[in-house]
Amino acid sequence: MPSSGDKIALWNRKLHYYFGLYLLAFVWLFSLSGLLLNHQWEFAEFWEKRNTVTFERVIQPPKGMLDLERAGDLIRQLEISGEIGSITTRAPDSLEIQVARPGTMFQVKADLARQRASVQQINVNGWGVFRMLHTFSGVQRTGAVERDWLLTRIWSFFMDAVSAGLMFMVLSSLYMWWDIKKKRRLGMAAVVAGIASCGFFVAGLRALP
Amino acid sequence: MLTAKTFYRWTRDLHLYLGLYLSPFVLVFAISTILLNHGWKPVGVPASPRVVDGIEIPQDLERVQGMRRALEVKKILAQVGVSGEINFIRTIPRENRIIIPVARPGQETTVSVDLKARTAVVETRETGIGDALIYLHRSPGPHNVAIRGNWLFTRVWRWLADGTVYLLLFLSASGVYLWVFLRAERRLGLILLAVGCTSCVGVIYAIVRG
Repeated sequence: MPSSGDKIALWNRKLHYYFGLYLLAFVWLFSLSGLLLNHQWEFAEFWEKRNTVTFERVIQPPKGMLDLERAGDLIRQLEISGEIGSITTRAPDSLEIQVARPGTMFQVKADLARQRASVQQINVNGWGVFRMLHTFSGVQRTGAVERDWLLTRIWSFFMDAVSAGLMFMVLSSLYMWWDIKKKRRLGMAAVVAGIASCGFFVAGLRALP
Repeated sequence: MLTAKTFYRWTRDLHLYLGLYLSPFVLVFAISTILLNHGWKPVGVPASPRVVDGIEIPQDLERVQGMRRALEVKKILAQVGVSGEINFIRTIPRENRIIIPVARPGQETTVSVDLKARTAVVETRETGIGDALIYLHRSPGPHNVAIRGNWLFTRVWRWLADGTVYLLLFLSASGVYLWVFLRAERRLGLILLAVGCTSCVGVIYAIVRG
Protein backbone atom coordinates (compact mmCIF):
# COMPACT_ATOMS: atom_id res chain seq x y z
CA MET A 1 0.00 0.00 0.00
CA PRO A 2 1.49 3.39 -0.95
CA SER A 3 2.48 5.66 1.94
CA SER A 4 1.02 9.16 2.31
CA GLY A 5 4.37 10.53 1.07
CA ASP A 6 4.07 8.43 -2.10
CA LYS A 7 0.51 9.66 -2.61
CA ILE A 8 1.57 13.29 -2.25
CA ALA A 9 4.44 12.71 -4.69
CA LEU A 10 2.09 11.02 -7.16
CA TRP A 11 -0.53 13.77 -7.02
CA ASN A 12 2.08 16.49 -7.09
CA ARG A 13 3.45 14.97 -10.30
CA LYS A 14 -0.02 14.57 -11.84
CA LEU A 15 -1.07 18.11 -10.96
CA HIS A 16 2.20 19.42 -12.43
CA TYR A 17 1.22 17.86 -15.78
CA TYR A 18 -2.40 18.93 -15.56
CA PHE A 19 -1.75 22.55 -14.61
CA GLY A 20 1.01 22.77 -17.20
CA LEU A 21 -1.21 21.50 -19.98
CA TYR A 22 -4.19 23.65 -19.01
CA LEU A 23 -2.05 26.79 -18.74
CA LEU A 24 -0.05 26.19 -21.94
CA ALA A 25 -2.01 28.57 -24.20
CA PHE A 26 -2.11 31.33 -21.55
CA VAL A 27 1.61 31.01 -20.81
CA TRP A 28 2.45 31.32 -24.51
CA LEU A 29 0.11 34.29 -24.88
CA PHE A 30 1.55 36.24 -21.94
CA SER A 31 5.16 35.27 -22.70
CA LEU A 32 5.06 36.30 -26.34
CA SER A 33 3.06 39.47 -25.72
CA GLY A 34 5.56 40.38 -22.97
CA LEU A 35 8.35 39.93 -25.48
CA LEU A 36 6.53 42.24 -27.91
CA LEU A 37 6.13 44.92 -25.25
CA ASN A 38 9.87 44.92 -24.60
CA HIS A 39 10.79 45.32 -28.27
CA GLN A 40 9.68 47.76 -30.92
CA TRP A 41 9.73 45.35 -33.83
CA GLU A 42 8.60 46.84 -37.09
CA PHE A 43 6.54 43.83 -38.13
CA ALA A 44 4.43 44.22 -34.97
CA GLU A 45 3.67 47.90 -35.55
CA PHE A 46 0.01 48.63 -34.81
CA TRP A 47 -0.53 52.27 -33.84
CA GLU A 48 0.63 53.73 -37.17
CA LYS A 49 -1.71 51.32 -38.94
CA ARG A 50 -4.76 52.14 -36.82
CA ASN A 51 -8.12 52.75 -38.39
CA THR A 52 -10.28 55.58 -37.04
CA VAL A 53 -14.03 55.89 -37.52
CA THR A 54 -16.16 58.76 -36.24
CA PHE A 55 -19.92 58.74 -35.93
CA GLU A 56 -22.64 60.71 -34.18
CA ARG A 57 -25.79 59.43 -32.49
CA VAL A 58 -28.88 60.86 -30.85
CA ILE A 59 -28.97 60.03 -27.13
CA GLN A 60 -31.33 60.26 -24.19
CA PRO A 61 -30.12 61.96 -20.99
CA PRO A 62 -28.17 59.18 -19.22
CA LYS A 63 -29.71 57.77 -16.06
CA GLY A 64 -27.93 57.50 -12.75
CA MET A 65 -26.58 59.61 -9.93
CA LEU A 66 -22.91 58.75 -10.20
CA ASP A 67 -20.67 59.52 -13.17
CA LEU A 68 -19.96 55.83 -13.65
CA GLU A 69 -23.68 54.97 -13.76
CA ARG A 70 -24.34 57.74 -16.29
CA ALA A 71 -21.36 56.68 -18.38
CA GLY A 72 -22.54 53.06 -18.27
CA ASP A 73 -26.02 54.05 -19.43
CA LEU A 74 -24.61 56.23 -22.20
CA ILE A 75 -22.37 53.54 -23.66
CA ARG A 76 -25.29 51.10 -23.56
CA GLN A 77 -27.32 53.60 -25.62
CA LEU A 78 -24.41 53.87 -28.05
CA GLU A 79 -24.08 50.06 -28.18
CA ILE A 80 -20.45 50.26 -27.15
CA SER A 81 -18.83 47.69 -24.93
CA GLY A 82 -15.55 47.72 -23.06
CA GLU A 83 -13.89 48.94 -19.89
CA ILE A 84 -14.61 52.56 -18.98
CA GLY A 85 -11.24 54.24 -18.56
CA SER A 86 -11.95 57.83 -17.68
CA ILE A 87 -14.99 60.05 -17.29
CA THR A 88 -14.69 63.83 -17.63
CA THR A 89 -17.37 66.45 -17.10
CA ARG A 90 -16.00 69.76 -18.37
CA ALA A 91 -19.40 71.47 -18.20
CA PRO A 92 -22.76 70.52 -16.63
CA ASP A 93 -24.14 69.48 -20.02
CA SER A 94 -21.10 67.55 -21.23
CA LEU A 95 -19.83 64.07 -20.59
CA GLU A 96 -16.63 62.64 -22.03
CA ILE A 97 -15.87 58.97 -21.68
CA GLN A 98 -12.99 56.78 -22.75
CA VAL A 99 -13.83 53.13 -23.27
CA ALA A 100 -11.39 50.41 -24.29
CA ARG A 101 -11.12 46.74 -24.95
CA PRO A 102 -8.21 44.94 -26.62
CA GLY A 103 -8.23 46.04 -30.24
CA THR A 104 -10.71 48.89 -29.93
CA MET A 105 -10.79 52.25 -28.16
CA PHE A 106 -13.70 54.66 -28.04
CA GLN A 107 -13.71 58.35 -27.18
CA VAL A 108 -17.23 59.54 -26.50
CA LYS A 109 -18.14 63.22 -26.28
CA ALA A 110 -21.74 63.73 -25.28
CA ASP A 111 -23.59 67.03 -25.45
CA LEU A 112 -26.45 66.38 -23.06
CA ALA A 113 -28.28 69.64 -23.91
CA ARG A 114 -28.39 68.78 -27.62
CA GLN A 115 -28.89 65.10 -26.83
CA ARG A 116 -26.16 64.08 -29.22
CA ALA A 117 -22.96 62.14 -28.80
CA SER A 118 -19.98 61.93 -31.11
CA VAL A 119 -17.91 58.77 -30.97
CA GLN A 120 -14.39 58.29 -32.23
CA GLN A 121 -13.63 54.61 -32.62
CA ILE A 122 -10.01 53.52 -33.06
CA ASN A 123 -9.35 49.99 -34.26
CA VAL A 124 -5.88 48.44 -34.19
CA ASN A 125 -4.58 45.29 -35.87
CA GLY A 126 -3.92 41.86 -34.36
CA TRP A 127 -0.53 42.87 -32.96
CA GLY A 128 -2.24 45.69 -31.08
CA VAL A 129 -4.82 43.25 -29.70
CA PHE A 130 -2.02 40.90 -28.64
CA ARG A 131 -0.18 43.65 -26.76
CA MET A 132 -3.31 45.01 -25.11
CA LEU A 133 -4.31 41.58 -23.80
CA HIS A 134 -1.11 41.61 -21.75
CA THR A 135 -2.02 44.80 -19.91
CA PHE A 136 -5.84 44.73 -19.99
CA SER A 137 -6.66 44.41 -16.29
CA GLY A 138 -9.00 47.30 -15.49
CA VAL A 139 -6.37 48.92 -13.28
CA GLN A 140 -6.14 52.65 -14.00
CA ARG A 141 -2.87 54.53 -14.30
CA THR A 142 -3.56 55.98 -10.87
CA GLY A 143 -3.64 52.43 -9.49
CA ALA A 144 -7.40 52.52 -8.90
CA VAL A 145 -9.10 49.19 -9.60
CA GLU A 146 -12.52 49.78 -11.19
CA ARG A 147 -13.55 46.85 -13.31
CA ASP A 148 -16.93 47.88 -14.63
CA TRP A 149 -17.07 45.42 -17.54
CA LEU A 150 -17.77 41.74 -16.84
CA LEU A 151 -15.16 40.57 -19.36
CA THR A 152 -12.46 42.69 -17.68
CA ARG A 153 -13.24 40.91 -14.43
CA ILE A 154 -13.09 37.52 -16.15
CA TRP A 155 -9.80 38.35 -17.90
CA SER A 156 -8.18 39.68 -14.72
CA PHE A 157 -9.34 36.51 -12.95
CA PHE A 158 -7.50 34.48 -15.59
CA MET A 159 -4.41 36.66 -15.08
CA ASP A 160 -4.46 35.86 -11.37
CA ALA A 161 -5.16 32.19 -12.05
CA VAL A 162 -2.28 31.87 -14.52
CA SER A 163 0.06 33.52 -12.00
CA ALA A 164 -1.11 31.24 -9.18
CA GLY A 165 -0.82 28.25 -11.53
CA LEU A 166 2.77 29.17 -12.43
CA MET A 167 3.64 29.50 -8.75
CA PHE A 168 2.25 26.02 -8.19
CA MET A 169 4.28 24.72 -11.17
CA VAL A 170 7.46 26.13 -9.61
CA LEU A 171 6.76 24.69 -6.15
CA SER A 172 5.71 21.30 -7.51
CA SER A 173 8.84 21.10 -9.66
CA LEU A 174 11.01 21.81 -6.61
CA TYR A 175 9.23 19.01 -4.74
CA MET A 176 9.71 16.55 -7.61
CA TRP A 177 13.37 17.46 -8.05
CA TRP A 178 14.16 17.02 -4.36
CA ASP A 179 12.78 13.48 -4.58
CA ILE A 180 15.45 12.48 -7.14
CA LYS A 181 18.52 12.11 -4.95
CA LYS A 182 21.08 11.72 -7.74
CA LYS A 183 20.00 15.00 -9.32
CA ARG A 184 20.09 17.05 -6.15
CA ARG A 185 23.62 18.42 -6.57
CA LEU A 186 23.35 19.71 -10.13
CA GLY A 187 19.78 20.83 -9.46
CA MET A 188 20.96 22.78 -6.43
CA ALA A 189 23.56 24.51 -8.58
CA ALA A 190 20.81 25.51 -11.03
CA VAL A 191 18.53 26.79 -8.24
CA VAL A 192 21.36 28.76 -6.61
CA ALA A 193 22.39 30.26 -9.96
CA GLY A 194 18.77 31.28 -10.60
CA ILE A 195 18.30 32.80 -7.15
CA ALA A 196 21.65 34.63 -7.35
CA SER A 197 21.05 36.15 -10.79
CA CYS A 198 17.41 37.02 -10.13
CA GLY A 199 17.95 38.07 -6.52
CA PHE A 200 20.67 40.48 -7.57
CA PHE A 201 18.08 42.41 -9.58
CA VAL A 202 15.28 42.14 -7.01
CA ALA A 203 17.25 43.10 -3.92
CA GLY A 204 20.88 43.69 -4.82
CA LEU A 205 20.71 46.69 -7.14
CA ARG A 206 19.44 48.93 -4.36
CA ALA A 207 22.64 48.31 -2.43
CA LEU A 208 24.88 49.46 -5.28
CA PRO A 209 26.63 52.79 -4.71
CA MET B 1 24.35 9.22 -33.09
CA LEU B 2 21.45 10.72 -31.13
CA THR B 3 18.92 7.99 -30.43
CA ALA B 4 15.31 8.61 -29.41
CA LYS B 5 16.13 7.45 -25.90
CA THR B 6 19.09 9.83 -25.57
CA PHE B 7 17.00 12.69 -26.93
CA TYR B 8 14.29 11.92 -24.38
CA ARG B 9 16.82 11.86 -21.52
CA TRP B 10 18.42 15.12 -22.62
CA THR B 11 15.04 16.78 -22.96
CA ARG B 12 13.99 15.54 -19.50
CA ASP B 13 17.21 16.75 -17.88
CA LEU B 14 17.15 20.13 -19.62
CA HIS B 15 13.48 20.52 -18.63
CA LEU B 16 14.50 19.88 -15.02
CA TYR B 17 17.65 21.99 -14.74
CA LEU B 18 16.54 24.93 -16.88
CA GLY B 19 13.23 24.88 -15.02
CA LEU B 20 15.03 25.03 -11.68
CA TYR B 21 17.21 27.92 -12.89
CA LEU B 22 14.15 29.77 -14.17
CA SER B 23 12.06 29.24 -11.00
CA PRO B 24 12.91 32.57 -9.29
CA PHE B 25 12.28 34.52 -12.50
CA VAL B 26 8.88 32.86 -12.96
CA LEU B 27 8.03 33.72 -9.34
CA VAL B 28 9.04 37.36 -9.91
CA PHE B 29 6.73 37.67 -12.92
CA ALA B 30 3.88 35.71 -11.30
CA ILE B 31 3.87 37.60 -7.98
CA SER B 32 4.23 40.97 -9.69
CA THR B 33 1.30 40.13 -11.99
CA ILE B 34 -0.94 39.67 -8.96
CA LEU B 35 0.33 42.92 -7.42
CA LEU B 36 -0.24 44.80 -10.69
CA ASN B 37 -3.64 43.22 -11.20
CA HIS B 38 -4.87 44.48 -7.85
CA GLY B 39 -3.49 48.00 -8.04
CA TRP B 40 -0.96 47.42 -5.28
CA LYS B 41 0.94 50.56 -4.37
CA PRO B 42 4.22 50.83 -2.50
CA VAL B 43 4.35 52.70 0.78
CA GLY B 44 7.72 54.36 0.56
CA VAL B 45 9.25 56.71 3.05
CA PRO B 46 11.31 59.47 1.41
CA ALA B 47 14.71 60.24 2.85
CA SER B 48 15.41 63.88 3.71
CA PRO B 49 16.32 65.81 0.59
CA ARG B 50 19.95 66.76 0.18
CA VAL B 51 21.29 69.73 -1.74
CA VAL B 52 24.42 69.56 -3.89
CA ASP B 53 26.09 72.80 -4.95
CA GLY B 54 28.51 73.67 -7.71
CA ILE B 55 27.10 71.34 -10.35
CA GLU B 56 28.82 71.51 -13.72
CA ILE B 57 26.12 71.66 -16.37
CA PRO B 58 27.14 69.85 -19.58
CA GLN B 59 27.30 72.32 -22.47
CA ASP B 60 25.43 70.09 -24.92
CA LEU B 61 22.51 69.42 -22.58
CA GLU B 62 20.08 71.78 -24.32
CA ARG B 63 21.16 70.88 -27.86
CA VAL B 64 20.86 67.10 -27.89
CA GLN B 65 17.86 64.81 -27.72
CA GLY B 66 17.03 61.18 -26.96
CA MET B 67 19.73 58.87 -25.69
CA ARG B 68 22.46 61.50 -26.19
CA ARG B 69 20.56 63.80 -23.84
CA ALA B 70 20.21 60.99 -21.30
CA LEU B 71 23.97 60.47 -21.47
CA GLU B 72 24.54 64.21 -20.86
CA VAL B 73 22.17 64.07 -17.89
CA LYS B 74 24.16 61.12 -16.55
CA LYS B 75 27.11 63.51 -16.14
CA ILE B 76 24.99 65.51 -13.71
CA LEU B 77 23.82 62.37 -11.92
CA ALA B 78 27.43 61.26 -11.46
CA GLN B 79 28.17 64.57 -9.71
CA VAL B 80 25.30 64.10 -7.25
CA GLY B 81 26.09 60.41 -6.65
CA VAL B 82 22.98 58.95 -8.25
CA SER B 83 22.88 56.00 -10.64
CA GLY B 84 19.97 54.09 -12.15
CA GLU B 85 17.61 54.16 -15.11
CA ILE B 86 16.53 57.68 -16.08
CA ASN B 87 12.76 57.42 -16.53
CA PHE B 88 12.38 60.69 -18.41
CA ILE B 89 13.80 64.22 -18.43
CA ARG B 90 11.40 67.05 -17.74
CA THR B 91 12.47 70.57 -18.62
CA ILE B 92 10.82 73.58 -17.00
CA PRO B 93 12.22 76.52 -19.04
CA ARG B 94 10.38 79.15 -17.00
CA GLU B 95 12.18 78.03 -13.86
CA ASN B 96 15.41 77.16 -15.68
CA ARG B 97 15.17 73.74 -14.11
CA ILE B 98 15.23 70.09 -15.13
CA ILE B 99 13.65 67.25 -13.19
CA ILE B 100 15.17 63.79 -13.55
CA PRO B 101 13.39 60.79 -12.01
CA VAL B 102 15.86 57.90 -11.66
CA ALA B 103 14.75 54.38 -10.81
CA ARG B 104 16.26 51.18 -9.51
CA PRO B 105 14.21 48.17 -8.46
CA GLY B 106 12.75 49.18 -5.10
CA GLN B 107 14.16 52.69 -5.10
CA GLU B 108 13.11 55.98 -6.71
CA THR B 109 15.26 59.10 -6.76
CA THR B 110 14.23 62.50 -8.03
CA VAL B 111 16.94 64.96 -8.96
CA SER B 112 15.85 68.55 -9.48
CA VAL B 113 18.57 70.67 -11.06
CA ASP B 114 18.56 74.47 -11.02
CA LEU B 115 20.54 75.21 -14.19
CA LYS B 116 21.16 78.84 -13.31
CA ALA B 117 22.19 78.40 -9.67
CA ARG B 118 23.98 75.11 -10.55
CA THR B 119 22.46 73.33 -7.55
CA ALA B 120 20.61 70.03 -7.35
CA VAL B 121 18.09 68.74 -4.83
CA VAL B 122 18.21 64.95 -4.51
CA GLU B 123 15.36 63.03 -2.91
CA THR B 124 15.47 59.23 -2.61
CA ARG B 125 12.56 56.99 -1.69
CA GLU B 126 12.85 53.32 -0.77
CA THR B 127 9.78 51.60 -2.21
CA GLY B 128 10.41 48.02 -1.08
CA ILE B 129 10.49 44.54 -2.52
CA GLY B 130 6.94 44.57 -3.94
CA ASP B 131 7.69 47.65 -5.99
CA ALA B 132 11.00 46.10 -7.09
CA LEU B 133 9.05 43.14 -8.51
CA ILE B 134 6.63 45.45 -10.33
CA TYR B 135 9.48 47.56 -11.68
CA LEU B 136 11.25 44.49 -13.05
CA HIS B 137 8.00 43.16 -14.56
CA ARG B 138 7.53 46.41 -16.49
CA SER B 139 11.16 46.88 -17.42
CA PRO B 140 12.23 47.85 -20.02
CA GLY B 141 8.67 48.12 -21.41
CA PRO B 142 7.23 50.06 -24.34
CA HIS B 143 7.51 53.64 -22.99
CA ASN B 144 10.17 56.31 -23.63
CA VAL B 145 11.89 54.00 -26.06
CA ALA B 146 14.35 56.69 -27.17
CA ILE B 147 16.11 56.71 -23.81
CA ARG B 148 15.19 53.30 -22.42
CA GLY B 149 18.15 51.15 -21.44
CA ASN B 150 20.29 54.14 -20.43
CA TRP B 151 21.50 52.13 -17.42
CA LEU B 152 23.64 49.01 -17.89
CA PHE B 153 21.48 46.89 -15.58
CA THR B 154 18.29 47.72 -17.50
CA ARG B 155 19.97 46.37 -20.62
CA VAL B 156 21.06 43.22 -18.77
CA TRP B 157 17.54 42.77 -17.36
CA ARG B 158 16.07 43.14 -20.86
CA TRP B 159 18.27 40.24 -21.89
CA LEU B 160 17.21 38.19 -18.85
CA ALA B 161 13.51 38.98 -19.38
CA ASP B 162 13.79 37.88 -23.00
CA GLY B 163 15.67 34.78 -21.87
CA THR B 164 12.86 34.01 -19.41
CA VAL B 165 10.36 34.02 -22.29
CA TYR B 166 12.48 31.80 -24.51
CA LEU B 167 13.20 29.35 -21.71
CA LEU B 168 9.51 29.31 -20.71
CA LEU B 169 8.60 28.45 -24.30
CA PHE B 170 11.22 25.69 -24.26
CA LEU B 171 9.96 24.38 -20.90
CA SER B 172 6.34 24.25 -22.07
CA ALA B 173 7.25 22.61 -25.41
CA SER B 174 9.54 20.07 -23.72
CA GLY B 175 6.87 19.49 -21.06
CA VAL B 176 4.37 18.58 -23.78
CA TYR B 177 6.97 16.28 -25.39
CA LEU B 178 7.61 14.49 -22.07
CA TRP B 179 3.88 14.18 -21.34
CA VAL B 180 3.24 12.49 -24.70
CA PHE B 181 5.28 9.50 -23.49
CA LEU B 182 3.05 9.03 -20.44
CA ARG B 183 0.33 6.84 -21.88
CA ALA B 184 -1.70 6.74 -18.66
CA GLU B 185 -1.95 10.54 -18.62
CA ARG B 186 -2.69 11.06 -22.29
CA ARG B 187 -6.48 11.17 -22.24
CA LEU B 188 -6.93 13.51 -19.27
CA GLY B 189 -3.94 15.58 -20.39
CA LEU B 190 -5.39 15.99 -23.84
CA ILE B 191 -8.73 17.07 -22.37
CA LEU B 192 -7.02 19.66 -20.15
CA LEU B 193 -4.90 20.92 -23.03
CA ALA B 194 -8.03 21.32 -25.15
CA VAL B 195 -10.00 22.96 -22.33
CA GLY B 196 -7.11 25.36 -21.65
CA CYS B 197 -6.75 26.35 -25.32
CA THR B 198 -10.52 26.68 -25.75
CA SER B 199 -10.97 28.81 -22.65
CA CYS B 200 -8.06 31.05 -23.67
CA VAL B 201 -9.27 31.51 -27.24
CA GLY B 202 -12.90 31.77 -26.11
CA VAL B 203 -12.28 34.56 -23.59
CA ILE B 204 -10.08 36.45 -26.05
CA TYR B 205 -12.76 36.16 -28.73
CA ALA B 206 -15.42 37.44 -26.32
CA ILE B 207 -13.24 40.37 -25.21
CA VAL B 208 -12.20 41.41 -28.69
CA ARG B 209 -15.72 41.11 -30.14
CA GLY B 210 -17.15 42.88 -27.09
